[in-house]
Amino acid sequence: MAAQLFFNGLVTGLLIALPALALTIVFGVLKFANFAVGSMLTLGAYAAWVANVQLGLPLFGAAAIAALTVAGAGLLADQLAFERLRARGSITLLVASMGVSLVIENVCRFFFGNASRGFDVALSRPIRWEGIRINQEQITIAITVAVCLVLVDALLRFTPLGRAMRAVADNASLAAVRGVERRTIARLTWVLVGALLGLAGVLAGLDRAIDPLIGWNYQIPIFAAAILGGLGSPLGAVAGALVIGVAEEMSALVIPTNYRQVVSFSVILALLLFRANGLFGAKAARK
Amino acid sequence: MSAPAPIAALSATDLRAGYGRGDDIVRGISLDQAPETILAVIGPNGSGKSSLVKTLAGLLDIRAGRVAVTGRDVTRETPAKRVAAGLAYVPQEANVFPNLTIGENLKLATEFLRGRAGVGPEQRERVLGLFPEIGARLKTRAGDLSGGQRQMLAFASALLANPEALLLDEPSAGLSPKIVGQTMEAIVRVRETGVTVLLVEQNVAAALDVADEAVVLVAGQVSLRASASDMKAADLGALFFAKVA
Repeated sequence: MAAQLFFNGLVTGLLIALPALALTIVFGVLKFANFAVGSMLTLGAYAAWVANVQLGLPLFGAAAIAALTVAGAGLLADQLAFERLRARGSITLLVASMGVSLVIENVCRFFFGNASRGFDVALSRPIRWEGIRINQEQITIAITVAVCLVLVDALLRFTPLGRAMRAVADNASLAAVRGVERRTIARLTWVLVGALLGLAGVLAGLDRAIDPLIGWNYQIPIFAAAILGGLGSPLGAVAGALVIGVAEEMSALVIPTNYRQVVSFSVILALLLFRANGLFGAKAARK
Repeated sequence: MSAPAPIAALSATDLRAGYGRGDDIVRGISLDQAPETILAVIGPNGSGKSSLVKTLAGLLDIRAGRVAVTGRDVTRETPAKRVAAGLAYVPQEANVFPNLTIGENLKLATEFLRGRAGVGPEQRERVLGLFPEIGARLKTRAGDLSGGQRQMLAFASALLANPEALLLDEPSAGLSPKIVGQTMEAIVRVRETGVTVLLVEQNVAAALDVADEAVVLVAGQVSLRASASDMKAADLGALFFAKVA
């Protein structure tokens, strides 16, 4: 039982890792906590559902459509709201992202209603390994997230765009006088973040039914993971997501599963009280 | 017939700038700087020295006036485009990316400068020749460097863009007297490579030792411009604290 919960927790953690990474990248590069992270994930799930169920594309193609759709939505939100409010500071941008979140959620409600939906994927028997039941969706989630994390890590460490994003995160003014156009980097950051959230939406849609609140169900764990890892630290976001995922699942041993989000709230509360920089935050913030 | 005056490497005309909706901090500054010279900008605290270089670099919005680099108007250009036009800037503090390695700091200094002539391996070799201690530690995190080493990395990063003019904002700030001496020597070496240097300094003696000319800024205006040797003989205390209209 405990081993099964631990395994499920790791997979849940991996699922949270992509949006937590997206949240921490926006916080690091664009300097605000993007409250629309959950609703952008929801948009990704619906975009993939349209491509998969209504257009008949395989899930792989639907995932690409979801990534492009949410990347486009991120660019649009940046153009219409965030860029215009950039000079007003991070609190204004946070409030603006709440507005963006409400808009996206209600657009999804308008077009798709409140009914639950699911992808058109073949049912398959779970695999049993060392007494642990592993289903096909969990394998898909684990492989997809692992590949994405490797690719994002490589992008951040080895490409000019990654260096520029890390430089802007370190010191945006200095990056500007080293020839880096902040506006271009902001746009490319939204493309990357949108793609991650689009894919996260597809994986969330594999894990549970798609409805207008699918992203909201992950919102608190995503924030808890990013804060636990230290906002602005990509490695921290992934580590934080795994810890939160496992902690939430393992909590079923001691509290009813309906209350498992108490774990995320408790982590946020404890961090704010005792270690506001999170696990990796002190290093990430060092100047 | 006399030869035409050379185009100024750096030129500011009736420049006015300030923060937010506040009063002008830079209040109508005009200055032309001849190529391959060091111009020291000195003045009391709050006289607008750092604001002037930020305005020239494009980090502070220009309310009126004009900035040109080797005759090219860059007034409306972003900071990044000004670098591509030949205007490099080393801020007073936080002048390297601490979470990037030395190698990454150096790479970043050129990889977004499309179309800038003279940016490439030869320039990199030349610049690292000026600062050999930087080239030997490419994998070290910039945040782990001492103050003097950070200053050298900041100079090197700016010079990799092959600038016509280099803006330095108080490069001696926070450094020990020995390191200040080395920093000033480095500035002279930079000028010898053909770069025009505008040097904002609080350490007046050190700045006048290496400068060709100097301007005194008081309350956001130029109150005196003279050769460095004449400036050394001037009563700077009286100038610094003179009442300005």
